Amino acid sequence: MEEQHSRFEELFLPQLDAAYNLARILVKRDQDAQDVVQDAYIRALKGFKRFRGGNPRAWILTIVRNTAYSWLKKQHPGSTDIVPFNEAIHHTPIEESTSEGLYEERGRLLNEALNRLSVEHREILVLRDIEGWSYKQLASALNVPIGTIMSRLSRARQCLREEIAKIQHKESQNEV
Amino acid sequence: MKCEEVHRLLDIHLDGELDFARRLELEQHLAVCSSCPSLIEEHCEFRTFFAANVITYEAPPRLEARVRAALHQEQAKERFSLFLQPWIYATAIVVVAAFVALNILFPGAEDHLSQQAVLLHSNSLSTEHLVDVASPDPKIVKPWLTARLDFAPPVVGSPASGYSLVGGRIDVIQNRSVATLVYKNDTDDEDVVTLFCWPPKKDRLSDTDHSVEGYRVSTWSTGQCNYILVSKLNNKAMDEFLDSFRVQIQSGAYY
Repeated sequence: MEEQHSRFEELFLPQLDAAYNLARILVKRDQDAQDVVQDAYIRALKGFKRFRGGNPRAWILTIVRNTAYSWLKKQHPGSTDIVPFNEAIHHTPIEESTSEGLYEERGRLLNEALNRLSVEHREILVLRDIEGWSYKQLASALNVPIGTIMSRLSRARQCLREEIAKIQHKESQNEV
Repeated sequence: MKCEEVHRLLDIHLDGELDFARRLELEQHLAVCSSCPSLIEEHCEFRTFFAANVITYEAPPRLEARVRAALHQEQAKERFSLFLQPWIYATAIVVVAAFVALNILFPGAEDHLSQQAVLLHSNSLSTEHLVDVASPDPKIVKPWLTARLDFAPPVVGSPASGYSLVGGRIDVIQNRSVATLVYKNDTDDEDVVTLFCWPPKKDRLSDTDHSVEGYRVSTWSTGQCNYILVSKLNNKAMDEFLDSFRVQIQSGAYY
């Protein structure tokens, strides 16, 4: 049992940054993210018998993701934390800029926009674009068909661009 | 492939998840289309921008210690969780109750024998019918018993100092005839000792020494014979009696 426990720590404690990052993006607040990570690790320890080798990072992130969803459900019963978004796919041009100051400004906009997306869109963007998961991995972890992964990713990216544009628009109006 | 389909497949293509056939079609379209290549380029730029600017959070330094502590606590809890399960206690109570009930309803074979022996002993005292063949001499007692039994019981004449053979009789314990030998304290008529013996089949008695209904009951077996000895409680002389008797049987010092 001791041996199993130390093997668990060896495999999963190095994934703490990735686990925290995912939790933080899903539940947004630092303290909540820490609670979710702690919960997820305990769930993982309890279910460690079901871990059949494979990728420990993907395994723990799937548990973090499920724990975050339970947490969100408990915090906001009835709501799934989905910010309404435009279903129509239309292209939002992004203005070219070479100015460094403007680039940093766009970095801030990006993270603010990401934060405004629905939890499903935040999740899929982290797992695909930060963690680099394949569609197959995503489909299996999120328990949806690959077709849904494709459309959800495409919509998430679209929404992200739209949100950036919206914030930009609002801020430019405020300046006026 | 039309522009609309390229728009639809754009992300899948850039994620490297488009199947080979459609990737070929898409590339063929890009080679001839005037608007799609710039769209692709724009998407690529956005991805680069996203990768360079998206905040990835690092776990706060105290989180690892916190998680470790929680894991250790959980491990300790798991180790003792068996004892926290109410069913463990419920099961224990049921098992104990069943054990007690079985012992009351169906006392063990030896308990049952002991009770029969005590009953025979106390009956013989109360009816003042101790023996059917009265003699301190094993040479008289043994043939009398052997003639009425299907075995020849070992008869010890003077098992311990201060005790003498009164004689013998036949009793029935658990549907079989047994040899009963009675000894009496030379200076105390009340101090009567009854010894039951019979050859065991598979039912070898184990060594026990306990009190049953106000009497001391000792059981043992030599393999040739099962013995039950019933005597008064709290009689220190009986320890010596028992030791001496068993030694005599073992060493063949009997008739």
